[in-house]
Amino acid sequence: MKGGLLLKGAILTVGIYLFLKLALPLFTAPLPASLTFLYVALTVTGIVIFATLSGQSTEAFWGPIARFLSGDGQAGAMRTARLLVLVLFPLLVGWQAYSSTAPSDQPPAENRTIHPAPPGEFVGLSNPIPNTPENVMAGKGLYAAFCSPCHGGNFDGKGLASRGFNPPPANFSDPTTIAMLQESYLFWRIKKGGVGLSIEGMPWKSAMPRWEVELKDEQIWKIIMGEYDGAHQKPRTWE
Amino acid sequence: MKRVHSWLVGMIGGVVLSVGMLVPGTGQAQESVSVRAALVTGSLPMEDPTAAAWSSAPLSEFPLSPQVHWPTRILEVTAQSVKVRGLHDGQQVSVLLEWADPSEDPDDAAALEFMVGDKKAHFAHGQPMGQVEGGPVNIWFWKNKDTKVLDMNAKGFGTLKAQDQQDVKGKGVYQNGTWKVVFTRSLSTPDAENDTQIKPGDFINIAFAIWDGKRDAAGDLKEKGSQKAVSSWWYFRAEPPPDYSSYLYAALAVGLAAGFQFVVIRKLRKGAST
Repeated sequence: MKGGLLLKGAILTVGIYLFLKLALPLFTAPLPASLTFLYVALTVTGIVIFATLSGQSTEAFWGPIARFLSGDGQAGAMRTARLLVLVLFPLLVGWQAYSSTAPSDQPPAENRTIHPAPPGEFVGLSNPIPNTPENVMAGKGLYAAFCSPCHGGNFDGKGLASRGFNPPPANFSDPTTIAMLQESYLFWRIKKGGVGLSIEGMPWKSAMPRWEVELKDEQIWKIIMGEYDGAHQKPRTWE
Repeated sequence: MKRVHSWLVGMIGGVVLSVGMLVPGTGQAQESVSVRAALVTGSLPMEDPTAAAWSSAPLSEFPLSPQVHWPTRILEVTAQSVKVRGLHDGQQVSVLLEWADPSEDPDDAAALEFMVGDKKAHFAHGQPMGQVEGGPVNIWFWKNKDTKVLDMNAKGFGTLKAQDQQDVKGKGVYQNGTWKVVFTRSLSTPDAENDTQIKPGDFINIAFAIWDGKRDAAGDLKEKGSQKAVSSWWYFRAEPPPDYSSYLYAALAVGLAAGFQFVVIRKLRKGAST
């Protein structure tokens, strides 16, 4: 079939692109654009190598492209399509040159680590307060007084005082917050507050108070119990 | 005739498609993350919060929270958000704050906060951080009854101090339940150790604070000191002068690509005719 090789190559390239762009994200995280470009470029390179293995296949592959571009004997839709390609190609190259040299007006990207590593002295601590209904209740009371203005009465990070803070207060009912942390981690974050974060946590932005100034360790451990119970989460453990 | 027709359709179609790709999408509401001080050629409304020139400045709005970080906290404040506009003329920069306040009181106040130097500073008055060595903050503080702006520094709560050299001017106007306060300063100052330096094109950090100076039944101020409405850090940028070099690069690229096409097609046609 005349031009069949070219058509097959084009279909395969489009198919690979659609698979990477649409099908793959159904199973895993979406691929970055640079990786998609790399895979498509590899596909095209493979097709070109395959298509130019013999003189006959080379003609079958390049022939239609050369005839299309030279425009000889074309009429109607083909002529219009060729002109479209000839107009679009320089404009696309121009757009690429513009977008890669245009000055950015976007603020710098921020790669803030939400849960940076705690200092060594806070690793592996266990809650010394017995997990009794009385202690959980006491913890919830302390939470209501000290934490709920920002983290919310429903443990969802939507307290009345939360709206102006960037980053927003943590949502404890979200399974990616306290459910994936140990109690010792929460103890560190509550005791030392936002200013206690390491540099990758961007401590200069956090509104979390340094509660060691106002609360005893025992009260902080009780708050942790109350938080997990109220948010219906379990702390992460080594088991 | 038919040949000319298809040629025209191709040209017009190509241009329409390309322009469609160049025009950015409209109707996408963007959350405010930065204040953009537009560059103006005329004079700045340095001490006129109601000047018509402000309507040409891009508007940003930032939510405010009660100050809960420091122990002398407050859980409810009057100002829920602040609208911010900025203008500069390459020498001076003016920032306009606008917020709703049901009553005009002598102790109504507002402040802008910036980091100073290269070190990061905590948004709560640049207070010390546990694992990171922080820098000071530069605070521009306006209070209704003082009718002036104080140029101040802090490095932690309780360290707020007015500078010897005062560089910031300002004025507030209260109309129809809304405060409009303008702050004006030179983009750069000789005192880089204490003053934030604003270089057009660079993004720097900015934070806001508002006090409602209303008194309660006992005569005590409802909001005072660290009991105020605050934001955490956002961005501020004085827009740089327009840079047209990327249009030049784009035109050059279009010319090169068109030339490349011409050479390739000429070669193909020559090859086909031999």
